[in-house]
Amino acid sequence: MASPFSGVLQLTDLDDYIGPSQECIKPVKVEKKPGKAAAKIRIEADGSYFQINQDGGAQKLEKAKITLNDCLACSGCITSAESVLITQQSHEELCKMLTLNKTAAPDERKLVVVSVSPQSRASLAARCKMGVLETAKKLTAFFKSLGVHYVFDTTFSRNFSLLESQREFVKRFRKQSEDKKALPMLASACPGWICYAEKTHGSFIIPYISTTKSPQQVMGSLIKGYFAEQQHLTPNQIYHVTVMPCYDKKLEASRPDFFNQEYQTRDVDCVITTGEVLKLLEQEGVSLSDVDPAPLDTTLSGAAEEELTSHSGGGSGGYLEHVYKYAAKELFGIQVDTIQYKPLKNKDFQEVTLEKEGVVLLQFALAYGFRNIQNLVQKLKRGKSPYHYIEVMACPSGCLNGGGQIKLDSESSKDQLQQVERLYESLKTTIPEENWTVKELYEQWLGGTESEKAAQALRTEYHAVERASTGFNIKW
Amino acid sequence: GGARGRGVSPGPVPGGGHHAGVSPGQGWSCRAVLGEGHQRTVRRVAWSPCGSYLASASFDATTCIWKKQEDGFECVTTLEGHENEVKSVAWAPSGTLLATCSRDKSVWVWEVDEEEEYECVSVLNSHTQDVKHVVWHPNQELLASASYDDTVKLYHEEEDDWVCCATLEGHESTVWSVAFDRSGERLASCSDDKTVRIWRQYKPGNEEGVACSGTDPTWKCVCNLSGYHSRTIYDVAWCHLTGALATACGDDAIRVFEESASSEPQQPTFSLAAHVPRAHSQDVNCVAWNPKEPGLLASCSDDGDIAFWRYQRPEVC
Repeated sequence: MASPFSGVLQLTDLDDYIGPSQECIKPVKVEKKPGKAAAKIRIEADGSYFQINQDGGAQKLEKAKITLNDCLACSGCITSAESVLITQQSHEELCKMLTLNKTAAPDERKLVVVSVSPQSRASLAARCKMGVLETAKKLTAFFKSLGVHYVFDTTFSRNFSLLESQREFVKRFRKQSEDKKALPMLASACPGWICYAEKTHGSFIIPYISTTKSPQQVMGSLIKGYFAEQQHLTPNQIYHVTVMPCYDKKLEASRPDFFNQEYQTRDVDCVITTGEVLKLLEQEGVSLSDVDPAPLDTTLSGAAEEELTSHSGGGSGGYLEHVYKYAAKELFGIQVDTIQYKPLKNKDFQEVTLEKEGVVLLQFALAYGFRNIQNLVQKLKRGKSPYHYIEVMACPSGCLNGGGQIKLDSESSKDQLQQVERLYESLKTTIPEENWTVKELYEQWLGGTESEKAAQALRTEYHAVERASTGFNIKW
Repeated sequence: GGARGRGVSPGPVPGGGHHAGVSPGQGWSCRAVLGEGHQRTVRRVAWSPCGSYLASASFDATTCIWKKQEDGFECVTTLEGHENEVKSVAWAPSGTLLATCSRDKSVWVWEVDEEEEYECVSVLNSHTQDVKHVVWHPNQELLASASYDDTVKLYHEEEDDWVCCATLEGHESTVWSVAFDRSGERLASCSDDKTVRIWRQYKPGNEEGVACSGTDPTWKCVCNLSGYHSRTIYDVAWCHLTGALATACGDDAIRVFEESASSEPQQPTFSLAAHVPRAHSQDVNCVAWNPKEPGLLASCSDDGDIAFWRYQRPEVC
């Protein structure tokens, strides 16, 4: 079965071949007994391995397990079997958790929160032939029927990601003469891109990447931080699930940077894809369109009415648009209402230019998909990149076309994508600066935009992955 | 130990006949040694159609593009991106496209513009194993690749991306190389399964009634040359001047096949026209026909030699 991870991630680490000098960074520690003879291994009928000692005694050998965290750090993996990589995060894991929660003692019970991405919602809406608001309400009802307590929308946390990105860009633009690596600033919301960048280009590319957290991880900070406090719970007493359009988000959630050491809990405990939600529905024998809608949870977003909103700038979050408009205003006092995109070599590589009296003030680009990421990094390495900001996404056509979205065999993928895009864009768009709840959270909970707490909650770092020697010494 | 000859690439030859001389390398002199480009084995070299550029594919995961100068060659650019060993490189007849393939299972298509800037146009992940060789159709922008996954795949451009439009299954082991005939209607593949297979293209609406899906042609195996080779066949070369098919084999031999006079288009027959059992003292890795001089064949081997052969089609074939 083809790997479900984005093409960009696939190319970097999953390979069935292991060269003798490639080592898994997580060897299983085995107690070695001194002895001259080579170990004899016997395989039982059930597939378990026993080591036969010299004296004839048998010892059952431990199965080597690789966790998602290990996968992220390793540059040569033992197996590309997806089952090994995603055992900790799946709809089955969620079900197990919900079942346990039902019978758990009151002090062991967790508050279950599900944050749904707008891309997943649009995909489900297309599949179930409903509008997005109806889908959101029915999804809320469905999750609650399983034992989930709150269902939120990551569009809310995306406000923070957009605001932080905007501010970060302007800061970097202003100091570009002192810092050679301030620009171009590269978007950071896509984990497929981040993992690839860390592994393949490491310390060269990391300084260019925006330090803003993705909407998923900002939501993690909000739920395990602010929301937990509001509910008078500790972070580990909440089980936070996100619904995402791709599998790469599972890797993002398991990054050590997003693990709360104090409470030994992840900011996002489990990521399930849009497709896995469909599996859940099928498992429960539920057809989403038949579910009675439930009111939307507005506790977090503070929305007065039941209203869904979105951000402009496409299905991957709108980073380019927001940074561009903000920068044009802040840096040059220019008000931009509509953005003209100029497609270049292919539809996943587009350019936007701000010009005044023949002078180029800002030059931004969208680069989606591996081939465009390749070209962009190569140009950067040769010092030939003319851009100030690039919205980088691993999937061709962006997040709406993520590897975890629902794909039907009955229709052409182009038509399906168009439907999902239409549904995604059917909502009214709002400007992050005008969101009162977001403003309040910055002031009350974070203590200002420049505070230590804001940095902790909204920003992150990247780590270059050291490559083990990759078996180049072998003669072929 | 010592050098292993891995590939030969016949570029535009300034003319003049050469034969496998009594004294080694008679008539051939080394003009340049390009030692500053690669850190590991150079597995394949390919001349551009115009003859001014040489591409070299290396195990160091890069492909260098060398430009011919008056006094040698200059590396004008290095194509990076493959995860690991690059196994082959080939120029499209148009001269503006280049393909590379690697053990990372992918095939990359690159485009070069007037300013000699190379950009990746597509990354194709259709194969499930190491890709050994890539070759372009003689007159269309159609690309073929051979892999350790036992298949040959074909690719072309659709809208703004490249896609795999056909998978040729049949070989029972690694396919090491492929070659198109002069017209491009047929493809020869050679494999670790010791056979050479000939495939033929059937376009939609063909009169033989072969089913096609949509607008893409179907490729069917129309001939299987088995029982001639005793080891892995590493390379196959189809002469565009005479139609002769040469093979490079792990049994140290070079063989040439010719299509029989009685051969039918839907069921072609080939017979063994020449066989040099000990062409080299080790595995023959590559064979290449001179594009201008009929019957002139070059071969190279693990024994470190490059050999030149004069082949003449026997009277009765």
